[in-house]
Amino acid sequence: MTQKEKIHEEIERTLQSLDGTKRAEANPFLFTRIKARMNRKANAWEGVFSFISKPAIAIAILLIVMAVNGWALWSSGAGDEIAGSDSGNASELANEYNTVASVNNYDYENMTSE
Amino acid sequence: MTNETELIEQLKQGDQTAFKTIVEQWQDMVYNTILGIVQNETEAEDLAQDVFIKVFEKIDSFKGDSKFSTWLYRIATTTALDHLRSKKRKKRFGFLKSMSGGDGDNKDQVADFHHPGVSLDNKERAAVLFKAIEALPENQKLAYTLHKLEGLSYRDVSEVLNTTVSAVESLMSRANQNLRKQLEEYYNKHYR
Repeated sequence: MTQKEKIHEEIERTLQSLDGTKRAEANPFLFTRIKARMNRKANAWEGVFSFISKPAIAIAILLIVMAVNGWALWSSGAGDEIAGSDSGNASELANEYNTVASVNNYDYENMTSE
Repeated sequence: MTNETELIEQLKQGDQTAFKTIVEQWQDMVYNTILGIVQNETEAEDLAQDVFIKVFEKIDSFKGDSKFSTWLYRIATTTALDHLRSKKRKKRFGFLKSMSGGDGDNKDQVADFHHPGVSLDNKERAAVLFKAIEALPENQKLAYTLHKLEGLSYRDVSEVLNTTVSAVESLMSRANQNLRKQLEEYYNKHYR
């Protein structure tokens, strides 16, 4: 038997090596472990909720939210001013640009007519 | 079947006894399926726990359009594949791996997974085969594992993979071709 034939036979045997394989058995305490994990998960959420619901923490969160809101209001007011000046600048720029453009356009027409 | 339907209904009500019965009834099936895909006993046990927690949390989404076992196989295979993908991502970006030159060619690594259900005289060959299975594309790997390790018919595999029987036949044929090719390379290097 040549080496090639031996390898071919080995491949066939390998491909058949899973035939008749028995099902692997799970850990008999799987359910207990699942329950423990589910309880840990529930406890973690309980911990988060009980922490948030402490009066000091709740008031601190409320103050932070109010501060953020106040800052947002203040910055939007300041933003309006900036936006106003921006739009002013923009219109000035547009006017200037239009003028230039029209001049260019006019010049161009003049050039072609010449 | 009626018993199964009752159990599912009870589980939908949050019945812990029904949940325990479901876990005990299907734990080997779930564990064996995941083990065949991830090829690591510790990871397979953790993932089997994940699967049953998902079953408990998502049982309301089971409408009975498919068999419960099919639904369970789908959760198990998806969980196992997600795990492999995240492991692959971690490996790809692993600093130490890149420093040592990456994980290299899969085929040259030692075949080290031994499935507990394989007979002793097939142990070494099965380990080589598992190494080759590891390198198969996802769908071929699923079809091959479900058919060979779980003993599912092509029809059952097609239900789990949500495809046709002929598609499963094609997957199995390509899986066998790929495995032959890989084994040929392996034995050309290692056969004594």
